[in-house]
Amino acid sequence: MTHLLDIRNVSRRFGGVLAVNDVTGHVDEGELVGLIGPNGAGKTTLFNLISGFTPLSSGTVSFDGRTISGLKTNQVARLGISRTFQNLRVFPNMSVFDNVSVGAVGALPQGALGALFGSLAGGGARSAEISRRTWEALEAVGLTHVAGELAANLPYGQRKYLEIARALAMQPRFLILDEPAAGLNDTETRALADFIKRLHGTGLTIMLVEHDMTLVMSICQRILVLASGRKIADGPPDAIRRDPAVLEAYLGVDA
Amino acid sequence: MNVSDLSAPPRGRGLLIPLLLALLVFVGLPAMLAGFDRGYFYQIANLALIFILLSASMHLVTGVAGLLHLGHAAFYGVGAYTAALLSTKFGLGFTVTLPLSGVVAALIAFLVALPTMRLVSIYFAVATLAIGQMLYLVMLNWVEFTKGPNGIIVTKGLELFGFSLSGRLATYYTVATVVALCVLAIGRLSHSYYGNALRSIREDDQCADAMGVSTARLKMEAFTLSAFFAGVAGSLWAHMTGYISPGDFKFSESILILAMVVVGGLGSLPGAVIGALLLILLPEGLRAFGDFRNIMVGLVMFLSILLLPKGLLGEVSALQLARRQLGAAWRNTVKGEGIGWR
Repeated sequence: MTHLLDIRNVSRRFGGVLAVNDVTGHVDEGELVGLIGPNGAGKTTLFNLISGFTPLSSGTVSFDGRTISGLKTNQVARLGISRTFQNLRVFPNMSVFDNVSVGAVGALPQGALGALFGSLAGGGARSAEISRRTWEALEAVGLTHVAGELAANLPYGQRKYLEIARALAMQPRFLILDEPAAGLNDTETRALADFIKRLHGTGLTIMLVEHDMTLVMSICQRILVLASGRKIADGPPDAIRRDPAVLEAYLGVDA
Repeated sequence: MNVSDLSAPPRGRGLLIPLLLALLVFVGLPAMLAGFDRGYFYQIANLALIFILLSASMHLVTGVAGLLHLGHAAFYGVGAYTAALLSTKFGLGFTVTLPLSGVVAALIAFLVALPTMRLVSIYFAVATLAIGQMLYLVMLNWVEFTKGPNGIIVTKGLELFGFSLSGRLATYYTVATVVALCVLAIGRLSHSYYGNALRSIREDDQCADAMGVSTARLKMEAFTLSAFFAGVAGSLWAHMTGYISPGDFKFSESILILAMVVVGGLGSLPGAVIGALLLILLPEGLRAFGDFRNIMVGLVMFLSILLLPKGLLGEVSALQLARRQLGAAWRNTVKGEGIGWR
């Protein structure tokens, strides 16, 4: 069986630094996979390599049997890979609804003709579809009551969910969450964990990068561990917890 | 809440403002102009209309898509010269030159955009400045082709399939109709999910890219379409005034159009229209003050930016207005207010 996401011998060099060094791994359809590692391990770089943000130095990434390394970011996104950002990147001067709609717009055919000529050029039906997807995504994260607000006016926690809603509006097959719990308190993190589990329950394949070990250990089915750009472990949470290489990377002790 | 319950847009009150505007432009104003019966007022009205179109087209590329465009007047010039040359060299009338002027301006915009669109922020602005200057210098110095600083006299007036529309009232109606249709088209582009995609590029183009938005293609489209509308404005100008020269399309005109968009409110189409009206009518109204009027216009611009940095009618209010009143029906509502686009 082919994996949904297949990463083969992927490397990325920034000048003299090998940020990601010969990493091989995969994610299967329907999995909830965690990606952890100490600061500077190359987690976000690996995400950027998958989503086409950063070009690969070597190796290949394929999605659903198709090589995606070398594609443009927006082409990768339209294949069904959606993401959030470590440092929140909402569109501040747009309403919550308009923010989320961009995800739906991006996943559908784009162009001026639909907007200009409406139903004559298929624009009317597309607008209806965008409205529907946007509203569904807002319902999924529980932000319909602030749909008309400017994104800049939302508190931090809601902006996190706004980013997730925008990613969901693309109706992705594979969702990448980059440190979703960063900056949240314990209560909020628990609520987020429940939310991610519910998303996963709908059949969505999810990969998340996270510093919060309790979050990752409690919800992920499988965990990849990066350290200094290399993959040092790959397995279920229980095995990772006892893995000597992981303990060494995190605690700096000889096991 | 169920989406389908919310998908029936409340209609009815949406047509009031457009109807009043149409009445003003097509009945009220012409009646007043005909009443005063002085060519001067017609000229001012037509000039204001043409700058409304220029300002609205720049709103699309600078206000909505966020690309600081410093060479817009040059594409206005390309349209005017296309119309003038087609009309004097090949005897073509306004009916043909109007669309062709738009197409030629759009084509040139497309070609220069190919290498330019990779540039961001201030670098893009400088590139458009350079493009504007190059086109201006072609108009000024390619004397055999453009007649250089002497300009071109356009003998053919406005017409529709051979029917002359060059009387004062007919000219006004023609200009008003073309401008109204173009502004309507720009409104459809900016008040739609297409407009949302352009706004997302303005806000954070990398992030928009990661959401699947074809940023390069949409930037290109916005730039090309805005040049098309500027070209149409150029054709109107050439046939309306009967004489064009490079001075009409120099850098300061680009800055004037930019000022209209900024004073009115970046990202706001009604703002762009208000800005154009203000910066055309104010200097005319202040003619009695002689050269002091330029200082007064500058002061008004300065104060408006100081006190209303988001513009006379900012983007947020403009979009609310568009959703509520200008016939852009919505699909979803929160507390009775529409939030989506048709």
